[in-house]
Amino acid sequence: MTTFAERPTITAPRLGAQKTSFGTQFVKTITSTDHKRIGYLYLATSFFWFLVGGLLALVIRAELTRPGMQFLSNEQYNQAFTMHGTIMLLLFSTSLFIGFANVLLPLQIGAADVAFPRLNMLSYWLYFFGSIQTVAGFLTPGGAASFGWTAYAPLSSTDYSPGIGADLWIMGLTISGLGTILGAVNLITTIFTMRAPGMTMFRMSIFSWNVLLTSILVLLAFPALAAALLALESDRLFGSNIFDPANGGAMLWQHLFWFFGHPEVYILALPFFGIATEILPVFSRKPIFGYKGLIAATIAIAALSVAVWAHHMFATGQVLLPFFSFMTFLIGVPTGVKFFNWIGTMWRGQVSFESPMLFTMGFLVTFLFGGITGIILASPPLNFAVSASYFVVAHFHYVLFGTVVFTMFAGFYFWWPKFTGRMLNERLAKIHFWTLFVGFHLTFLVQHWLGIKGFPRRYADYLSTDGFTEMNMISTVGSALLALSMIPFFINVWITRKSPMVNTDDPWGYGSSLEWATSCPPPRHNFHTMPRIRSERPAFDLHHPHIKSEGHN
Amino acid sequence: MRENWKLFIALAVFYIFMAYIYYYLGGEAVGITGMLLAGFFSGMIGFYLWFTVKRIGFDIPSDDLHAEIADDAGELGFYAPHSWWPLPVGVSATAVGLGLIIGWWMVIIAVGALVISIIGFVTEYEKPLLEETHSNN
Repeated sequence: MTTFAERPTITAPRLGAQKTSFGTQFVKTITSTDHKRIGYLYLATSFFWFLVGGLLALVIRAELTRPGMQFLSNEQYNQAFTMHGTIMLLLFSTSLFIGFANVLLPLQIGAADVAFPRLNMLSYWLYFFGSIQTVAGFLTPGGAASFGWTAYAPLSSTDYSPGIGADLWIMGLTISGLGTILGAVNLITTIFTMRAPGMTMFRMSIFSWNVLLTSILVLLAFPALAAALLALESDRLFGSNIFDPANGGAMLWQHLFWFFGHPEVYILALPFFGIATEILPVFSRKPIFGYKGLIAATIAIAALSVAVWAHHMFATGQVLLPFFSFMTFLIGVPTGVKFFNWIGTMWRGQVSFESPMLFTMGFLVTFLFGGITGIILASPPLNFAVSASYFVVAHFHYVLFGTVVFTMFAGFYFWWPKFTGRMLNERLAKIHFWTLFVGFHLTFLVQHWLGIKGFPRRYADYLSTDGFTEMNMISTVGSALLALSMIPFFINVWITRKSPMVNTDDPWGYGSSLEWATSCPPPRHNFHTMPRIRSERPAFDLHHPHIKSEGHN
Repeated sequence: MRENWKLFIALAVFYIFMAYIYYYLGGEAVGITGMLLAGFFSGMIGFYLWFTVKRIGFDIPSDDLHAEIADDAGELGFYAPHSWWPLPVGVSATAVGLGLIIGWWMVIIAVGALVISIIGFVTEYEKPLLEETHSNN
């Protein structure tokens, strides 16, 4: 007698395919200690603030389209540009850096997670609640802070800026800055202690190096901001006289603020230079040109950036002009070295223009313009002529929009398969790029001439006899196009949400750093197997073993 | 770890040097203080890294040019799988800031909540001593 039994079919549990309710996912997210999930939270939150800040920018541009006040009061206009600056710099760009670093840094150095996973989540919550607090002023009767993102004393005192919006702004930035400091501590410790065997400091990707130096700058700059903000709040709440103009408080605030403010610009720039440096070799099919030179340049920028702050204060007439002018010219040199190396990487390479490369080219062009006007502004005689005019606004947006936004999208298109396992659509990406590029330059190129003609920044209105109308109209049309360019991106994210998985470690084919040696998306602790690391291009060595790497042995 | 202290010491020397030049050229007090502090704090981190390297006394596999991945095999360390504590610490820290604006009653409550949640955060994975001795037997 024989009995038959059904042979049990063993199916491997498909990872990531389990049905999970919204509640489970939600709890999993808010209690997460996974660096990737926290990184995505950072990226999503900062992108949300990018949209809010962009909306405020559109309000500003719409108001300036024609002479006369269109739909805002002067006070509302002040709130709009103040919050636009604050949101874009401190709530969007800074945390975008922490987001990218969180997701990518442990992958690039071959670590299982960051050094302090729970501290990582705490940094995120401080940023999350701090950012809401900063912007919450819009919901109060007096409106949000309206003294400009620089909060110059005595304008930021209770005499000139009464109302709770300003207090919320100060405390919110302090809290969110605390989160940034903790994030930087976490990233530095991760780099120092958690590199994979063989991943020496001089085999780390340039992005990781830039994250390291950016984090060091965060440690130098953000405590100065926290001190200044808390002192300002003490003036406002307890009536102390720290920033009282009678005892030199106006200059004291400017010095403290810009001692933070200038390194902050490099905190925003360096990690995004790193993203560009990751993308260029992949789409040029060449190793990075001058790897150590790039690192030296980054260290030089980090060193020099604490000695240039007062070039924001030339017009006060109370700073050492020769010193700060010279240092500012000097810091242009390592930036030039970086440019040279980027061009050198593409030189005689097999350059192909997939969307990440396209956005990186957009960054190179835009940032170059910003760098050139930076040289002009570093020279005091020229600076006096255009200080606090739209020329500065144009320079600033060329530098920061060029760096942060273009390389942010480059990074999104580049690492989207690593984040989600799915490619974004190339055609939509190209539409996105060209509308963004044309929209940006249409908005900001004319502002150089607007500034030279004498239109001061932060003015809500101008006269029709001033001759600013035409250029302002061009700029507003450009800003509308710039805003519309977000639509292809959203469509892209939506339509590719169920596209086939890439099912390969390196969908671009020539990825160099270690994140391309693990699956897309990576497993919970990042690596099932790790290749031997013998150069700064471990994934490239793994996938193309027949090509001898020119790395450092 | 091996070379990292040099980076911080180099930055410290540079910042203090810049502070001196700035002082020599007649710079004001905030900048001199700022650059000196930047220098001393970088030096502090550099010193800590230097003596940690000396204390460990050997190259960790991350600094070995010829290391194999297996060299670091074994326990990687403890990673919290998930944690509820960062959320209350974040909320109560923000509430302290908000309390300064709204009123002292809120500061007092928020500081209490902050202390409790920090204790929870820090001791989350502390095992009670009693259980430890039992499990060892």
